[in-house]
Amino acid sequence: MSTEFVRHFPIFAIMLYFLGAFLIVMLGKVRALRHGIAFVATAGPLALLIALVKPIMIDGGIIAYWMGNRVPAGGYAIGIALEVDALGLFFGLLIATAVFVSCLYSFRYMERDDNVPQYYTLFLMLAGGVMGLVLSGDLFNMFIMVEILTFAAVALTAFRNRANGALEAAFKYLVVGCMGSTCILAGTILLYAQARTLNFAQLSALIPGNLGTSTKLAFALLFIGFSTKAFIVPFHPLAADAHGAAPASISVLISGVLTKSGIYGLIRLTYFLFQTMELGTMQFWLVFLGSVSMFVCVTMALAQHDFKRLLAFHSISQIGYVLTAVGLATGLGVSAGLYHAMNHTLFKGLLFLAAGAVLHETGTTDLNRLGGLAKKMPHTTALFLIGAASISGIPPFNGFASKWMIYQAAYQKAAETGNIGFALVTIIALVTSTLTLASFVKVSQSVFFGRLPKEYEKVQEVPFGMRFAMGILALLCILTGLFPGLVTKYLTEPAARAVFSVGTYINSMMGEGTIILQNPVVNFAQAGVWSPINWLFLLIIALLAITIVAISGKYDRVREMNAEKPEGKYDLFFGGEESVYSQVGGEDLFWGFKHNWRHYFGFMHELHSGVVNDYALWAVVALALAIVYATIVL
Amino acid sequence: MIVFNYIASFFLIVLGFYCIVVKYNLVKTVIGLSIADYGVNLLIITIGFNPGGTAPIFTPGELTQASYFVDPIPQALTLTSIVIGACVTAMSLALVIKLKESYGTLDTREIRRLRG
Amino acid sequence: MSAILLDALRYLGYILIFPGFLFCFLTGLLLCGIDRKLVARMQKRVGPPILQPFYDFFKLCGKETIVPATVTSKTVFLLAPLVGLASLVVLQLFIPIFSFRAFGAVADVIVILYLLLIPAVSVIMGGSVTGSPYAGVGLSREMVTILACELPLVLVLLSVAKTVGNALDTGLCFSLTQIAAFQAKYGSLILRPSMIPAAIAFLLIIPGETGNHPFDAAEAETEICEGMLAEYSGAPLGVYKLNHAVKMLTMTSLFIALFFGGIGTGIEQLAAAMGLTGGAAGMVVILLDVLVMFLLCVLTTAVGISFVHAVTARLKIEQIFKYYWTVVSGLALISLVLSWYGF
Repeated sequence: MSTEFVRHFPIFAIMLYFLGAFLIVMLGKVRALRHGIAFVATAGPLALLIALVKPIMIDGGIIAYWMGNRVPAGGYAIGIALEVDALGLFFGLLIATAVFVSCLYSFRYMERDDNVPQYYTLFLMLAGGVMGLVLSGDLFNMFIMVEILTFAAVALTAFRNRANGALEAAFKYLVVGCMGSTCILAGTILLYAQARTLNFAQLSALIPGNLGTSTKLAFALLFIGFSTKAFIVPFHPLAADAHGAAPASISVLISGVLTKSGIYGLIRLTYFLFQTMELGTMQFWLVFLGSVSMFVCVTMALAQHDFKRLLAFHSISQIGYVLTAVGLATGLGVSAGLYHAMNHTLFKGLLFLAAGAVLHETGTTDLNRLGGLAKKMPHTTALFLIGAASISGIPPFNGFASKWMIYQAAYQKAAETGNIGFALVTIIALVTSTLTLASFVKVSQSVFFGRLPKEYEKVQEVPFGMRFAMGILALLCILTGLFPGLVTKYLTEPAARAVFSVGTYINSMMGEGTIILQNPVVNFAQAGVWSPINWLFLLIIALLAITIVAISGKYDRVREMNAEKPEGKYDLFFGGEESVYSQVGGEDLFWGFKHNWRHYFGFMHELHSGVVNDYALWAVVALALAIVYATIVL
Repeated sequence: MIVFNYIASFFLIVLGFYCIVVKYNLVKTVIGLSIADYGVNLLIITIGFNPGGTAPIFTPGELTQASYFVDPIPQALTLTSIVIGACVTAMSLALVIKLKESYGTLDTREIRRLRG
Repeated sequence: MSAILLDALRYLGYILIFPGFLFCFLTGLLLCGIDRKLVARMQKRVGPPILQPFYDFFKLCGKETIVPATVTSKTVFLLAPLVGLASLVVLQLFIPIFSFRAFGAVADVIVILYLLLIPAVSVIMGGSVTGSPYAGVGLSREMVTILACELPLVLVLLSVAKTVGNALDTGLCFSLTQIAAFQAKYGSLILRPSMIPAAIAFLLIIPGETGNHPFDAAEAETEICEGMLAEYSGAPLGVYKLNHAVKMLTMTSLFIALFFGGIGTGIEQLAAAMGLTGGAAGMVVILLDVLVMFLLCVLTTAVGISFVHAVTARLKIEQIFKYYWTVVSGLALISLVLSWYGF
């Protein structure tokens, strides 16, 4: 395949989504046609982007694509450009995968809803918006794409408008999301006023030398704008509301795709546009925000009693890990952050789909009302457990591989700079990981294990189509966990290198010699060093050996209840009382922990008041702080 | 005086945000969003404006070194932004109608089933 | 080809016999028996025979296994104890016994941290599938105990990593193998003043991690009928008891490996002084290593588990949490800060 031919792939990847959305509006009344179009429109971009892995990730090329072939003239970029480097492609691949899997899942999941064609239209618009955002090389186009994706996401959040709180969540998201978008637009236009260009590469070349007050203001505005898209603290309540109310297939996109677009924006902003990551204070700022996000959201998650809302807070907690790692500004750190971003898409998608499966069959996601579904939905349970183990970082699943790198990176940074703050970050990250485990123990106890309530006796396993979609993600979770060496070599390391190669990025866009920027020497040692294969091998052998010993020792000599003649000894032990239905509800778990932290939890509960004005106020305060920070630091 | 435009545009943005933060009526929140949006639009136009410039419309051959016109790009951006602003308003008003139907109120302080 | 086969056999030997399954089984249960005897003697009781845990184990294996009717997943119910045991055995393989290391290089402090979670999670899962309310209360407490121990454990391990890293000039060192090698060369970590609070903190973590007496709110027999184990019977219950015993061995030997690794040098010198050379010397050194390690484990158990058991009453779960996150974490933090500034 010649590079000339490959150059057109990114625009096709974006257009396929929008074309699919358009076609579904026209032809979507017919079910088979609708599904066919949606399948092609989501599988196509994935295939196109996978075809780009070789030229971009492995050969290290950058695709600069000018719409209508309007190449820069006189050093000024007039045309609209797509620019695909390893970083953009990395995020593009994540997005395409999540969208594809979510689409497969939707086929059966959305069957019972009405207005399904509109669902697919919005779905594809959302996908196209995010894809356009990450592949675009133009700041204003990024704004347009942000608006498209915010719009589609809001509409999809409110899609099941009879569901509890869907409209409310959509409205809150719309208000704060639009404040964010307004900030992005204002920031964009302020940059235009200074540099008279909207092209990303040219801006990256011009801005660092011309930092005036208005560019600093623009930085603050853009930073807050992209933060609202990533839902980091203080924008996390919106994510929780939106995830909880949206259909599960959309929650996958919001958590796996939308937050990634925010992270992508922040990386572009801090590493490319302003190149501020050399500043220790900037690193501190990102790491601080990341650590606060990961800790606050995990504690918020522990206090939740709704399955999807809990997952939503975890989602932001994991985004906190990504932001922290990216903020470390070391090769290992960025590599770890991107790795975790990928894992986050995979395991979070899997968990949301499992939550959707539970909702699909039981009609509720309330942890206090569910229980014992493992008996009725064994496959969903197994897939959920894989996701839960991944997010809690249990080896050998993928969460461990990336978290290990994050700990290593943070502590290494601490050792290099001698700053004990980074050691604190390592500690917070490790404790957060255990808290994550705790809340997934809570979910598995109160949804899948524990006792089956009477009303769910007739629940069945979800259709194969949905299990298949979950299976893909589960498989990817395991594979990316087992081969961290390969993942870092072919995916995250090229992307991390791209993050540190601003000069190459600008030159390949604007023509060689536009700027002479030495790419910093980045140390990738330790990245992907830990290989779980040996370890897993040991564990499996040990498990096999122990099982064989146990079975030869008649371990499985189990007496089971005879259905016709139930005997008392198969009942649960109730201290001599008659056995009744009783289940320790989700809210009552971890009392000992919550009791010690009761003031904190009470304070947090008061703070997350659910009033949209409060969330808007947080956004304004964050903006004000960012402006103060930017003017002082930059 | 072009500087008044800048002051006015930032005043509008701040006013819009202020309105979103302090007003408890859903419709007023939407109005606040629109005001902030208008502020940004005004900012964009102001940035593109050159005092004394003509409209950036010309035919091939007409363009000379002496031509002096306002920057056309911000105008295109403004149009896009206005369209997006209209969409935001439409969408949020649709949500407001639905919210009024299901909650029976327009007070944001009472629309807080999702919290904590 | 035969070399690979030999290697495979050797590793299988590691896993099954020493320092893997069989070794864990024997020493773990023995340690448990010694602990019970010690506690009894401290309380002026006669106590059970030292081999009592073995008798208990074999007796349980002979009993029938009853799976309650409410169990939601029989596989998880039966497999959970085995997974816990397997991960403990693997963990034991990674812990260096002075100069003897079954598996090097891959051993990692963070891996250990997570591997320690797996047995706890497996017991939680096993309890959870039964649907018993006692198990519900038990698993809630078990998880809180894990959370409680996690913070001080992290602090201790990071301060060890930092101290060794400082001395090796790499800034940090997460490899257990390197930590062991460092101690063999420069003497035990316990000799450094900055490490003493960390060692005390670790000693206090041991009973929490193993679920021994003052911190056994999760199993509280008199109160919630052993919590997660309430519905277990027969061989699976036996395996859980074995897990508990092996965890005592794991935690104590980890303590020795982290803080008393320097003793290994003494053993090697002793073997050299005895004039042993060649293969025989290697064998003797390993034997001595294991013997000394076991004795030190017994000592650690006596101080860290039995003594604490004998003199305290069971704490409430919120007290456990508070205790670990204030007192023990405080100690560990002192160590971390001291080691950070190079003491």
